[in-house]
Amino acid sequence: MRLTPIEECVLAGDEGPVPARVMGTVVQYGEALGADRLVDVTGGGHMVIAYALPGIGPSLEMLEEFVAAGLRTAYPFTLDPRPPLDYGNWSLRDDQVAVLDDMYRDQARYEQLLLELGLRDPEAFTCRPFLDEVGNVPRKGDVLAWSESAAVVYANSVLGARTNRNGAVMDLLCNLTGKVPLSGLITDEARRATWLIEVRTSELPLPQVLGAAIGRRVLDDVPYVTGLDGALDPGLDLPTRDYLNELGTACATAGAVGLMHVQGVTPEAIEQGQALLVPDHRTFVVDDDVLADLTASYPVLWRDGEASPEGCYLGCPHLSATQVEWWAASIGAALRARGRKKVVVPTTICVAPQTLGRVKNDGSAAAELEEAGVRLSAGCPMQLFDNGLSDDKAIITNSTKLRSYTNARFFPDRRIVEIVVSGES
Amino acid sequence: MCRAFRGRPVLPGAVSGPAAVSHGGFNTYASFFKSIHVPSPHAICADSGNEDLHGLDLAGAVLCVPATTGSTSGGGVWQRLVTLGNAPRAVLFAQSIDSLAAGGLIVAALWTGGTIVVVDRLGDEFLTSVRSGDEITIGRDGEVAVRGPSA
Repeated sequence: MRLTPIEECVLAGDEGPVPARVMGTVVQYGEALGADRLVDVTGGGHMVIAYALPGIGPSLEMLEEFVAAGLRTAYPFTLDPRPPLDYGNWSLRDDQVAVLDDMYRDQARYEQLLLELGLRDPEAFTCRPFLDEVGNVPRKGDVLAWSESAAVVYANSVLGARTNRNGAVMDLLCNLTGKVPLSGLITDEARRATWLIEVRTSELPLPQVLGAAIGRRVLDDVPYVTGLDGALDPGLDLPTRDYLNELGTACATAGAVGLMHVQGVTPEAIEQGQALLVPDHRTFVVDDDVLADLTASYPVLWRDGEASPEGCYLGCPHLSATQVEWWAASIGAALRARGRKKVVVPTTICVAPQTLGRVKNDGSAAAELEEAGVRLSAGCPMQLFDNGLSDDKAIITNSTKLRSYTNARFFPDRRIVEIVVSGES
Repeated sequence: MCRAFRGRPVLPGAVSGPAAVSHGGFNTYASFFKSIHVPSPHAICADSGNEDLHGLDLAGAVLCVPATTGSTSGGGVWQRLVTLGNAPRAVLFAQSIDSLAAGGLIVAALWTGGTIVVVDRLGDEFLTSVRSGDEITIGRDGEVAVRGPSA
Protein backbone atom coordinates (compact mmCIF):
# COMPACT_ATOMS: atom_id res chain seq x y z
CA MET A 1 0.00 0.00 0.00
CA ARG A 2 1.02 3.59 -0.57
CA LEU A 3 1.11 5.38 2.77
CA THR A 4 1.24 9.15 3.38
CA PRO A 5 4.37 10.57 5.04
CA ILE A 6 2.45 10.95 8.31
CA GLU A 7 1.18 7.37 8.17
CA GLU A 8 4.76 6.22 7.52
CA CYS A 9 5.97 8.17 10.55
CA VAL A 10 3.36 6.62 12.82
CA LEU A 11 4.20 3.19 11.44
CA ALA A 12 7.90 3.81 12.05
CA GLY A 13 7.21 4.51 15.72
CA ASP A 14 7.57 8.29 15.80
CA GLU A 15 4.51 8.51 18.05
CA GLY A 16 5.48 5.52 20.15
CA PRO A 17 5.26 1.75 19.95
CA VAL A 18 1.52 1.39 20.58
CA PRO A 19 0.37 3.77 17.81
CA ALA A 20 2.88 2.04 15.51
CA ARG A 21 1.41 -1.36 16.29
CA VAL A 22 -2.16 -0.12 15.83
CA MET A 23 -1.27 1.50 12.49
CA GLY A 24 0.58 -1.65 11.41
CA THR A 25 -2.51 -3.72 12.06
CA VAL A 26 -4.72 -1.37 10.05
CA VAL A 27 -2.19 -1.39 7.19
CA GLN A 28 -2.14 -5.18 7.12
CA TYR A 29 -5.96 -5.12 7.13
CA GLY A 30 -5.81 -2.87 4.06
CA GLU A 31 -3.39 -5.17 2.30
CA ALA A 32 -5.64 -8.17 2.95
CA LEU A 33 -8.56 -6.25 1.48
CA GLY A 34 -6.57 -5.28 -1.60
CA ALA A 35 -6.59 -1.55 -0.82
CA ASP A 36 -3.85 0.60 -2.32
CA ARG A 37 -4.13 3.27 0.41
CA LEU A 38 -5.87 4.34 3.57
CA VAL A 39 -8.44 7.15 3.72
CA ASP A 40 -9.48 9.38 6.61
CA VAL A 41 -12.51 8.56 8.70
CA THR A 42 -14.85 11.59 8.56
CA GLY A 43 -17.43 10.81 11.23
CA GLY A 44 -18.05 9.22 14.61
CA GLY A 45 -17.75 5.49 15.01
CA HIS A 46 -20.33 2.97 16.06
CA MET A 47 -18.94 -0.29 17.37
CA VAL A 48 -20.07 -3.69 18.50
CA ILE A 49 -17.61 -3.89 21.39
CA ALA A 50 -19.97 -3.08 24.27
CA TYR A 51 -19.23 -6.13 26.38
CA ALA A 52 -16.42 -6.82 28.80
CA LEU A 53 -16.22 -10.37 27.57
CA PRO A 54 -13.00 -11.64 26.03
CA GLY A 55 -13.86 -12.92 22.58
CA ILE A 56 -16.61 -10.38 22.07
CA GLY A 57 -14.67 -7.19 22.67
CA PRO A 58 -11.02 -6.30 23.20
CA SER A 59 -9.47 -7.42 26.45
CA LEU A 60 -9.14 -5.05 29.41
CA GLU A 61 -5.37 -5.27 29.01
CA MET A 62 -5.58 -4.09 25.42
CA LEU A 63 -7.77 -1.11 26.40
CA GLU A 64 -5.47 -0.28 29.32
CA GLU A 65 -2.54 -0.28 26.89
CA PHE A 66 -4.32 2.12 24.54
CA VAL A 67 -5.32 4.48 27.36
CA ALA A 68 -1.82 4.44 28.82
CA ALA A 69 -0.44 5.34 25.37
CA GLY A 70 -2.81 8.33 25.21
CA LEU A 71 -4.79 7.06 22.24
CA ARG A 72 -8.22 8.54 21.55
CA THR A 73 -10.55 8.27 18.56
CA ALA A 74 -10.74 11.18 16.14
CA TYR A 75 -14.52 11.49 16.75
CA PRO A 76 -16.72 10.45 19.69
CA PHE A 77 -18.22 6.99 19.20
CA THR A 78 -21.30 5.03 20.24
CA LEU A 79 -21.51 1.37 21.18
CA ASP A 80 -23.94 -1.54 20.95
CA PRO A 81 -26.45 -2.08 23.77
CA ARG A 82 -25.29 -2.87 27.26
CA PRO A 83 -25.59 -6.45 28.50
CA PRO A 84 -28.89 -7.21 30.29
CA LEU A 85 -27.67 -6.32 33.77
CA ASP A 86 -31.00 -4.63 34.63
CA TYR A 87 -32.08 -8.00 36.01
CA GLY A 88 -35.56 -6.88 37.09
CA ASN A 89 -36.56 -6.47 33.45
CA TRP A 90 -35.71 -10.01 32.38
CA SER A 91 -37.39 -12.40 34.85
CA LEU A 92 -34.16 -14.28 35.55
CA ARG A 93 -33.50 -17.08 38.00
CA ASP A 94 -30.96 -16.56 40.78
CA ASP A 95 -28.47 -18.90 39.10
CA GLN A 96 -28.71 -16.89 35.87
CA VAL A 97 -28.08 -13.65 37.76
CA ALA A 98 -25.05 -15.21 39.42
CA VAL A 99 -23.60 -16.28 36.06
CA LEU A 100 -24.23 -12.85 34.51
CA ASP A 101 -22.66 -11.11 37.52
CA ASP A 102 -19.57 -13.21 37.03
CA MET A 103 -19.43 -12.85 33.23
CA TYR A 104 -19.70 -9.07 33.40
CA ARG A 105 -17.66 -8.46 36.56
CA ASP A 106 -15.33 -6.13 34.62
CA GLN A 107 -18.08 -4.19 32.81
CA ALA A 108 -17.77 -0.94 34.83
CA ARG A 109 -14.00 -0.75 34.36
CA TYR A 110 -14.37 -1.65 30.69
CA GLU A 111 -16.87 1.18 30.10
CA GLN A 112 -14.61 3.65 31.94
CA LEU A 113 -11.72 2.76 29.66
CA LEU A 114 -13.90 3.18 26.57
CA LEU A 115 -14.97 6.64 27.82
CA GLU A 116 -11.29 7.56 28.01
CA LEU A 117 -10.80 6.30 24.44
CA GLY A 118 -13.67 8.40 23.03
CA LEU A 119 -17.05 6.87 23.95
CA ARG A 120 -19.45 9.79 23.51
CA ASP A 121 -21.18 9.57 26.90
CA PRO A 122 -22.04 6.94 29.52
CA GLU A 123 -25.44 6.26 27.91
CA ALA A 124 -24.28 5.88 24.28
CA PHE A 125 -25.26 2.20 24.12
CA THR A 126 -27.67 1.00 21.42
CA CYS A 127 -27.64 -0.88 18.13
CA ARG A 128 -29.64 2.02 16.67
CA PRO A 129 -27.33 5.00 17.11
CA PHE A 130 -28.86 6.91 14.18
CA LEU A 131 -32.21 7.47 15.88
CA ASP A 132 -32.80 11.21 16.29
CA GLU A 133 -32.83 10.96 20.06
CA VAL A 134 -29.49 9.12 20.08
CA GLY A 135 -27.90 11.41 17.52
CA ASN A 136 -24.98 9.52 15.94
CA VAL A 137 -26.31 10.27 12.46
CA PRO A 138 -23.68 10.07 9.71
CA ARG A 139 -23.92 12.42 6.73
CA LYS A 140 -24.24 11.14 3.18
CA GLY A 141 -20.77 10.38 1.86
CA ASP A 142 -19.14 10.14 5.29
CA VAL A 143 -16.34 7.57 5.48
CA LEU A 144 -16.76 5.51 8.64
CA ALA A 145 -15.21 2.59 10.50
CA TRP A 146 -18.37 0.98 11.86
CA SER A 147 -19.17 -2.49 13.07
CA GLU A 148 -22.50 -3.99 14.23
CA SER A 149 -23.94 -5.55 11.12
CA ALA A 150 -27.37 -3.94 11.67
CA ALA A 151 -25.87 -0.47 11.98
CA VAL A 152 -23.46 -0.90 9.06
CA VAL A 153 -26.19 -1.83 6.59
CA TYR A 154 -28.37 1.09 7.71
CA ALA A 155 -25.54 3.65 7.57
CA ASN A 156 -24.62 2.53 4.05
CA SER A 157 -28.09 1.99 2.65
CA VAL A 158 -30.39 4.53 4.24
CA LEU A 159 -27.95 7.31 5.18
CA GLY A 160 -25.63 6.96 2.19
CA ALA A 161 -22.52 6.89 4.37
CA ARG A 162 -19.65 4.53 3.53
CA THR A 163 -18.37 1.82 5.81
CA ASN A 164 -17.24 -1.74 5.49
CA ARG A 165 -18.42 -4.48 7.83
CA ASN A 166 -15.52 -4.16 10.22
CA GLY A 167 -15.21 -6.79 12.89
CA ALA A 168 -14.93 -6.29 16.64
CA VAL A 169 -11.52 -4.95 17.73
CA MET A 170 -10.47 -3.93 14.20
CA ASP A 171 -13.31 -1.39 14.39
CA LEU A 172 -11.62 0.24 17.39
CA LEU A 173 -8.16 0.14 15.81
CA CYS A 174 -9.44 1.92 12.68
CA ASN A 175 -11.19 4.60 14.74
CA LEU A 176 -8.07 5.10 16.87
CA THR A 177 -5.94 5.68 13.77
CA GLY A 178 -8.72 7.66 12.10
CA LYS A 179 -8.06 5.60 8.96
CA VAL A 180 -9.77 2.87 6.96
CA PRO A 181 -8.57 0.97 3.90
CA LEU A 182 -9.96 2.31 0.63
CA SER A 183 -11.73 -0.88 -0.32
CA GLY A 184 -15.10 -2.60 -0.48
CA LEU A 185 -18.12 -0.45 0.32
CA ILE A 186 -16.00 2.69 0.62
CA THR A 187 -15.59 2.57 -3.20
CA ASP A 188 -18.19 3.40 -5.86
CA GLU A 189 -17.64 0.13 -7.69
CA ALA A 190 -18.51 -2.12 -4.75
CA ARG A 191 -21.72 -0.15 -4.13
CA ARG A 192 -23.25 -1.31 -7.40
CA ALA A 193 -25.93 -3.98 -7.09
CA THR A 194 -25.26 -7.55 -8.21
CA TRP A 195 -28.76 -8.85 -7.44
CA LEU A 196 -32.17 -7.60 -8.56
CA ILE A 197 -34.72 -8.59 -5.91
CA GLU A 198 -38.28 -8.36 -7.25
CA VAL A 199 -40.77 -8.32 -4.38
CA ARG A 200 -44.13 -9.55 -5.69
CA THR A 201 -46.05 -10.29 -2.50
CA SER A 202 -49.75 -9.73 -1.90
CA GLU A 203 -49.01 -7.16 0.81
CA LEU A 204 -45.99 -5.37 2.24
CA PRO A 205 -43.99 -8.25 3.74
CA LEU A 206 -42.67 -8.29 7.27
CA PRO A 207 -39.20 -6.76 6.98
CA GLN A 208 -37.68 -9.37 9.30
CA VAL A 209 -38.81 -12.16 6.98
CA LEU A 210 -38.11 -10.43 3.67
CA GLY A 211 -34.64 -9.50 4.91
CA ALA A 212 -33.90 -13.09 5.90
CA ALA A 213 -34.96 -14.30 2.45
CA ILE A 214 -32.77 -11.73 0.71
CA GLY A 215 -29.75 -12.29 2.96
CA ARG A 216 -29.84 -16.04 2.48
CA ARG A 217 -29.87 -15.66 -1.26
CA VAL A 218 -27.37 -12.85 -1.89
CA LEU A 219 -24.92 -13.62 0.99
CA ASP A 220 -22.49 -10.70 0.91
CA ASP A 221 -23.58 -9.19 -2.39
CA VAL A 222 -25.47 -5.92 -2.85
CA PRO A 223 -29.21 -6.31 -3.57
CA TYR A 224 -31.36 -3.80 -5.44
CA VAL A 225 -34.93 -4.29 -4.23
CA THR A 226 -37.99 -3.38 -6.29
CA GLY A 227 -41.66 -3.58 -5.36
CA LEU A 228 -41.51 -1.72 -2.04
CA ASP A 229 -41.53 1.85 -3.30
CA GLY A 230 -45.32 2.16 -3.27
CA ALA A 231 -45.47 1.26 0.41
CA LEU A 232 -42.46 3.17 1.74
CA ASP A 233 -41.82 6.91 1.94
CA PRO A 234 -38.98 8.31 -0.18
CA GLY A 235 -38.80 11.12 2.39
CA LEU A 236 -37.81 8.41 4.89
CA ASP A 237 -40.50 9.04 7.50
CA LEU A 238 -40.09 7.18 10.78
CA PRO A 239 -42.18 4.12 9.79
CA THR A 240 -40.06 3.80 6.64
CA ARG A 241 -36.86 4.12 8.67
CA ASP A 242 -38.19 1.47 11.08
CA TYR A 243 -38.98 -0.83 8.16
CA LEU A 244 -35.58 -0.36 6.52
CA ASN A 245 -33.78 -0.86 9.81
CA GLU A 246 -35.45 -4.23 10.35
CA LEU A 247 -35.05 -5.21 6.70
CA GLY A 248 -31.34 -4.43 6.73
CA THR A 249 -30.72 -6.15 10.05
CA ALA A 250 -32.32 -9.34 8.80
CA CYS A 251 -30.37 -9.15 5.50
CA ALA A 252 -27.13 -8.75 7.45
CA THR A 253 -27.93 -11.60 9.81
CA ALA A 254 -29.03 -14.16 7.25
CA GLY A 255 -26.20 -13.22 4.90
CA ALA A 256 -23.48 -10.63 5.16
CA VAL A 257 -25.22 -7.75 3.44
CA GLY A 258 -23.53 -4.42 4.14
CA LEU A 259 -25.51 -2.35 1.63
CA MET A 260 -28.91 -2.67 0.01
CA HIS A 261 -30.63 -0.35 -2.43
CA VAL A 262 -34.41 0.00 -2.34
CA GLN A 263 -35.85 1.40 -5.54
CA GLY A 264 -37.38 4.84 -5.12
CA VAL A 265 -36.60 4.93 -1.41
CA THR A 266 -32.90 4.79 -0.45
CA PRO A 267 -30.72 7.73 -1.52
CA GLU A 268 -28.44 6.07 -4.07
CA ALA A 269 -31.40 4.23 -5.63
CA ILE A 270 -33.28 7.52 -5.93
CA GLU A 271 -30.27 9.15 -7.61
CA GLN A 272 -29.18 6.36 -9.93
CA GLY A 273 -32.13 3.97 -10.22
CA GLN A 274 -31.49 0.66 -11.96
CA ALA A 275 -28.22 2.02 -13.36
CA LEU A 276 -26.88 0.77 -10.02
CA LEU A 277 -27.32 -2.79 -11.27
CA VAL A 278 -24.28 -4.37 -12.88
CA PRO A 279 -25.03 -5.69 -16.38
CA ASP A 280 -24.70 -9.37 -15.46
CA HIS A 281 -26.70 -9.16 -12.23
CA ARG A 282 -28.78 -12.08 -11.05
CA THR A 283 -32.51 -11.94 -10.23
CA PHE A 284 -34.49 -13.34 -7.29
CA VAL A 285 -38.27 -13.07 -7.20
CA VAL A 286 -39.79 -13.00 -3.73
CA ASP A 287 -43.46 -13.94 -3.51
CA ASP A 288 -45.74 -15.09 -0.70
CA ASP A 289 -44.66 -18.72 -1.17
CA VAL A 290 -40.96 -17.92 -0.82
CA LEU A 291 -41.58 -16.19 2.50
CA ALA A 292 -43.95 -18.87 3.80
CA ASP A 293 -41.46 -21.61 2.89
CA LEU A 294 -38.70 -19.72 4.67
CA THR A 295 -40.49 -19.33 8.00
CA ALA A 296 -41.75 -22.93 7.78
CA SER A 297 -38.14 -24.08 7.46
CA TYR A 298 -37.07 -22.56 10.79
CA PRO A 299 -36.33 -25.44 13.17
CA VAL A 300 -37.89 -25.44 16.67
CA LEU A 301 -34.87 -25.52 18.97
CA TRP A 302 -36.70 -25.60 22.28
CA ARG A 303 -35.88 -28.63 24.40
CA ASP A 304 -39.61 -29.32 24.52
CA GLY A 305 -41.12 -28.32 21.22
CA GLU A 306 -44.61 -28.39 22.73
CA ALA A 307 -43.74 -26.17 25.70
CA SER A 308 -45.75 -23.07 26.54
CA PRO A 309 -43.75 -19.91 25.88
CA GLU A 310 -41.89 -18.75 29.00
CA GLY A 311 -40.58 -15.44 27.77
CA CYS A 312 -40.82 -13.00 24.88
CA TYR A 313 -38.05 -10.65 23.79
CA LEU A 314 -38.76 -7.84 21.33
CA GLY A 315 -36.47 -5.09 20.11
CA CYS A 316 -33.59 -6.86 18.38
CA PRO A 317 -32.68 -4.45 16.83
CA HIS A 318 -33.77 -1.73 19.26
CA LEU A 319 -37.22 -0.30 18.58
CA SER A 320 -38.11 3.32 17.91
CA ALA A 321 -40.65 5.14 20.07
CA THR A 322 -43.21 4.66 17.27
CA GLN A 323 -42.67 0.91 17.27
CA VAL A 324 -43.04 0.82 21.06
CA GLU A 325 -46.35 2.67 20.68
CA TRP A 326 -47.52 0.01 18.20
CA TRP A 327 -46.73 -2.81 20.61
CA ALA A 328 -48.36 -0.96 23.52
CA ALA A 329 -51.54 -0.33 21.57
CA SER A 330 -51.67 -3.83 20.05
CA ILE A 331 -51.04 -5.68 23.31
CA GLY A 332 -53.45 -3.37 25.15
CA ALA A 333 -56.22 -3.99 22.59
CA ALA A 334 -55.63 -7.77 22.62
CA LEU A 335 -55.83 -7.84 26.42
CA ARG A 336 -59.05 -5.84 26.45
CA ALA A 337 -60.54 -8.17 23.82
CA ARG A 338 -59.88 -11.09 26.17
CA GLY A 339 -60.93 -9.26 29.31
CA ARG A 340 -57.44 -9.58 30.73
CA LYS A 341 -55.22 -7.08 32.50
CA LYS A 342 -51.73 -8.48 32.05
CA VAL A 343 -49.72 -10.52 29.57
CA VAL A 344 -49.35 -14.21 30.37
CA VAL A 345 -45.89 -14.55 28.81
CA PRO A 346 -43.25 -12.35 30.52
CA THR A 347 -42.32 -9.84 27.82
CA THR A 348 -39.39 -7.44 27.52
CA ILE A 349 -39.08 -4.74 24.86
CA CYS A 350 -35.60 -3.36 24.14
CA VAL A 351 -34.91 0.24 23.16
CA ALA A 352 -32.04 2.73 23.26
CA PRO A 353 -31.57 4.46 26.65
CA GLN A 354 -32.56 7.75 24.99
CA THR A 355 -35.72 6.17 23.51
CA LEU A 356 -36.54 4.74 26.93
CA GLY A 357 -36.37 8.25 28.39
CA ARG A 358 -38.51 9.60 25.58
CA VAL A 359 -41.17 6.90 25.90
CA LYS A 360 -41.34 7.39 29.65
CA ASN A 361 -41.62 11.17 29.26
CA ASP A 362 -44.36 10.86 26.66
CA GLY A 363 -46.27 8.72 29.10
CA SER A 364 -49.13 6.88 27.43
CA ALA A 365 -47.31 3.95 25.80
CA ALA A 366 -45.11 3.46 28.85
CA ALA A 367 -48.19 3.49 31.11
CA GLU A 368 -50.06 1.03 28.89
CA LEU A 369 -47.11 -1.36 28.83
CA GLU A 370 -46.61 -1.12 32.58
CA GLU A 371 -50.29 -1.84 33.14
CA ALA A 372 -49.98 -4.87 30.85
CA GLY A 373 -46.93 -6.10 32.76
CA VAL A 374 -44.59 -5.60 29.78
CA ARG A 375 -41.11 -4.39 30.70
CA LEU A 376 -38.86 -1.94 28.86
CA SER A 377 -35.09 -2.37 28.87
CA ALA A 378 -32.12 -0.64 27.26
CA GLY A 379 -30.22 -3.93 27.24
CA CYS A 380 -29.72 -6.63 24.62
CA PRO A 381 -31.31 -10.07 24.91
CA MET A 382 -28.55 -11.85 22.98
CA GLN A 383 -26.26 -11.91 25.99
CA LEU A 384 -28.76 -13.98 27.94
CA PHE A 385 -27.98 -16.90 25.67
CA ASP A 386 -24.18 -17.01 25.92
CA ASN A 387 -22.98 -19.94 27.96
CA GLY A 388 -26.30 -21.74 27.51
CA LEU A 389 -27.96 -19.54 30.12
CA SER A 390 -31.37 -19.64 28.50
CA ASP A 391 -31.16 -22.84 26.49
CA ASP A 392 -33.78 -24.47 28.67
CA LYS A 393 -36.27 -21.64 28.29
CA ALA A 394 -38.99 -21.52 25.65
CA ILE A 395 -38.40 -17.98 24.35
CA ILE A 396 -40.33 -16.37 21.50
CA THR A 397 -39.27 -13.37 19.43
CA ASN A 398 -40.09 -11.44 16.28
CA SER A 399 -36.39 -11.03 15.53
CA THR A 400 -34.54 -12.82 12.74
CA LYS A 401 -31.29 -11.97 14.46
CA LEU A 402 -32.24 -13.33 17.88
CA ARG A 403 -33.69 -16.43 16.24
CA SER A 404 -30.51 -17.03 14.28
CA TYR A 405 -28.17 -16.85 17.26
CA THR A 406 -30.26 -18.47 19.98
CA ASN A 407 -32.93 -21.11 20.50
CA ALA A 408 -35.64 -18.44 20.46
CA ARG A 409 -38.60 -19.28 18.25
CA PHE A 410 -39.70 -16.80 15.58
CA PHE A 411 -43.27 -15.59 15.18
CA PRO A 412 -44.62 -12.66 13.14
CA ASP A 413 -45.59 -9.54 15.11
CA ARG A 414 -49.34 -10.11 15.21
CA ARG A 415 -48.94 -13.73 16.31
CA ILE A 416 -46.61 -12.55 19.06
CA VAL A 417 -49.34 -10.23 20.34
CA GLU A 418 -51.80 -13.11 20.53
CA ILE A 419 -49.31 -15.45 22.17
CA VAL A 420 -48.22 -13.08 24.94
CA VAL A 421 -51.82 -12.35 25.93
CA SER A 422 -53.02 -15.98 25.65
CA GLY A 423 -49.92 -18.02 26.50
CA GLU A 424 -50.69 -20.32 23.58
CA SER A 425 -48.35 -20.77 20.64
CA MET B 1 -5.95 -38.83 -4.88
CA CYS B 2 -4.23 -35.51 -4.42
CA ARG B 3 -5.09 -32.18 -5.93
CA ALA B 4 -3.33 -28.87 -5.54
CA PHE B 5 -4.74 -25.37 -5.51
CA ARG B 6 -2.98 -22.06 -5.24
CA GLY B 7 -4.27 -19.01 -3.44
CA ARG B 8 -2.99 -15.84 -1.83
CA PRO B 9 -1.35 -16.29 1.57
CA VAL B 10 -2.99 -13.63 3.76
CA LEU B 11 -1.47 -14.99 6.98
CA PRO B 12 1.17 -17.41 5.70
CA GLY B 13 2.18 -20.62 7.38
CA ALA B 14 2.89 -24.28 6.74
CA VAL B 15 0.31 -26.46 8.50
CA SER B 16 -1.83 -29.49 7.81
CA GLY B 17 -5.06 -30.85 9.19
CA PRO B 18 -8.45 -32.29 8.38
CA ALA B 19 -10.82 -30.23 6.25
CA ALA B 20 -14.10 -28.91 7.66
CA VAL B 21 -16.07 -27.60 4.70
CA SER B 22 -18.90 -25.07 4.73
CA HIS B 23 -20.48 -24.65 1.32
CA GLY B 24 -22.56 -21.69 2.45
CA GLY B 25 -21.23 -18.58 4.19
CA PHE B 26 -19.61 -19.38 7.53
CA ASN B 27 -21.29 -17.46 10.35
CA THR B 28 -18.37 -16.98 12.72
CA TYR B 29 -20.27 -15.72 15.75
CA ALA B 30 -23.09 -18.25 15.49
CA SER B 31 -20.56 -21.05 15.07
CA PHE B 32 -18.27 -20.16 17.97
CA PHE B 33 -20.23 -18.11 20.50
CA LYS B 34 -20.50 -21.08 22.81
CA SER B 35 -16.79 -21.89 22.54
CA ILE B 36 -15.28 -18.64 23.76
CA HIS B 37 -16.17 -18.44 27.45
CA VAL B 38 -14.69 -21.49 29.11
CA PRO B 39 -11.31 -23.04 28.24
CA SER B 40 -11.87 -26.25 26.32
CA PRO B 41 -9.94 -28.30 23.76
CA HIS B 42 -13.04 -28.28 21.58
CA ALA B 43 -14.92 -25.73 19.48
CA ILE B 44 -18.20 -27.38 18.51
CA CYS B 45 -19.95 -25.53 15.69
CA ALA B 46 -23.11 -24.11 17.29
CA ASP B 47 -24.66 -22.67 14.14
CA SER B 48 -27.88 -24.62 13.62
CA GLY B 49 -28.22 -22.90 10.24
CA ASN B 50 -25.02 -24.49 8.92
CA GLU B 51 -26.03 -27.88 7.56
CA ASP B 52 -22.43 -28.85 6.80
CA LEU B 53 -20.77 -28.11 10.12
CA HIS B 54 -23.37 -27.89 12.91
CA GLY B 55 -22.20 -30.09 15.79
CA LEU B 56 -18.71 -30.76 14.39
CA ASP B 57 -15.56 -29.93 16.36
CA LEU B 58 -13.66 -27.19 14.51
CA ALA B 59 -10.69 -27.01 16.89
CA GLY B 60 -7.56 -27.86 14.91
CA ALA B 61 -9.48 -28.19 11.66
CA VAL B 62 -8.73 -26.55 8.33
CA LEU B 63 -11.88 -24.56 7.77
CA CYS B 64 -12.82 -24.27 4.09
CA VAL B 65 -15.41 -21.55 3.37
CA PRO B 66 -16.56 -19.26 0.59
CA ALA B 67 -16.61 -16.25 2.96
CA THR B 68 -17.74 -15.45 6.50
CA THR B 69 -21.11 -13.96 7.38
CA GLY B 70 -23.19 -12.72 10.27
CA SER B 71 -22.62 -10.52 13.28
CA THR B 72 -19.55 -8.31 13.36
CA SER B 73 -18.98 -9.65 16.89
CA GLY B 74 -17.45 -12.50 14.91
CA GLY B 75 -14.31 -10.36 14.55
CA GLY B 76 -13.22 -10.73 18.15
CA VAL B 77 -13.97 -14.41 18.29
CA TRP B 78 -10.81 -15.48 16.45
CA GLN B 79 -8.57 -13.75 18.97
CA ARG B 80 -10.30 -15.52 21.83
CA LEU B 81 -10.12 -18.95 20.18
CA VAL B 82 -6.37 -18.53 19.72
CA THR B 83 -6.00 -17.57 23.37
CA LEU B 84 -8.06 -20.54 24.54
CA GLY B 85 -6.22 -22.92 22.20
CA ASN B 86 -9.30 -24.24 20.42
CA ALA B 87 -9.01 -22.32 17.14
CA PRO B 88 -9.08 -23.92 13.71
CA ARG B 89 -5.56 -24.44 12.40
CA ALA B 90 -6.26 -22.59 9.17
CA VAL B 91 -9.06 -20.89 7.28
CA LEU B 92 -9.18 -21.26 3.50
CA PHE B 93 -11.37 -18.93 1.45
CA ALA B 94 -12.62 -19.69 -2.04
CA GLN B 95 -13.19 -15.97 -2.64
CA SER B 96 -11.22 -12.89 -1.58
CA ILE B 97 -11.30 -12.67 2.19
CA ASP B 98 -14.18 -10.58 3.52
CA SER B 99 -13.60 -7.58 5.78
CA LEU B 100 -15.06 -9.23 8.88
CA ALA B 101 -12.79 -12.26 8.65
CA ALA B 102 -9.73 -10.22 7.61
CA GLY B 103 -10.04 -7.90 10.58
CA GLY B 104 -10.60 -10.66 13.11
CA LEU B 105 -7.90 -13.00 11.86
CA ILE B 106 -5.26 -10.26 11.50
CA VAL B 107 -5.95 -8.93 15.00
CA ALA B 108 -5.71 -12.49 16.31
CA ALA B 109 -2.34 -12.91 14.60
CA LEU B 110 -0.80 -9.56 15.52
CA TRP B 111 -2.12 -9.13 19.07
CA THR B 112 -2.32 -12.68 20.38
CA GLY B 113 0.83 -14.27 19.06
CA GLY B 114 -0.71 -17.41 17.65
CA THR B 115 -1.49 -17.38 13.98
CA ILE B 116 -4.36 -19.11 12.26
CA VAL B 117 -3.02 -19.66 8.74
CA VAL B 118 -5.17 -17.92 6.13
CA VAL B 119 -5.19 -18.39 2.35
CA ASP B 120 -7.82 -16.79 0.15
CA ARG B 121 -8.74 -16.68 -3.58
CA LEU B 122 -8.53 -20.48 -3.95
CA GLY B 123 -11.43 -20.45 -6.39
CA ASP B 124 -14.89 -22.00 -6.47
CA GLU B 125 -13.52 -25.30 -7.77
CA PHE B 126 -11.56 -25.73 -4.55
CA LEU B 127 -14.73 -25.54 -2.49
CA THR B 128 -16.71 -27.88 -4.73
CA SER B 129 -14.01 -30.57 -4.74
CA VAL B 130 -12.84 -30.59 -1.11
CA ARG B 131 -14.80 -32.73 1.38
CA SER B 132 -14.90 -32.61 5.17
CA GLY B 133 -12.30 -35.06 6.47
CA ASP B 134 -9.92 -34.68 3.52
CA GLU B 135 -6.32 -34.16 4.65
CA ILE B 136 -5.10 -30.69 3.73
CA THR B 137 -1.51 -29.49 3.62
CA ILE B 138 -0.84 -25.78 3.27
CA GLY B 139 2.47 -24.28 2.16
CA ARG B 140 3.77 -20.84 3.09
CA ASP B 141 3.44 -19.77 -0.54
CA GLY B 142 -0.33 -20.36 -0.53
CA GLU B 143 -0.28 -23.78 -2.16
CA VAL B 144 -3.00 -26.04 -0.78
CA ALA B 145 -2.81 -29.81 -1.33
CA VAL B 146 -5.95 -31.85 -0.74
CA ARG B 147 -5.75 -35.60 -0.15
CA GLY B 148 -8.84 -37.72 0.12
CA PRO B 149 -11.10 -40.11 -1.73
CA SER B 150 -12.92 -37.24 -3.38
CA ALA B 151 -9.88 -35.18 -4.30
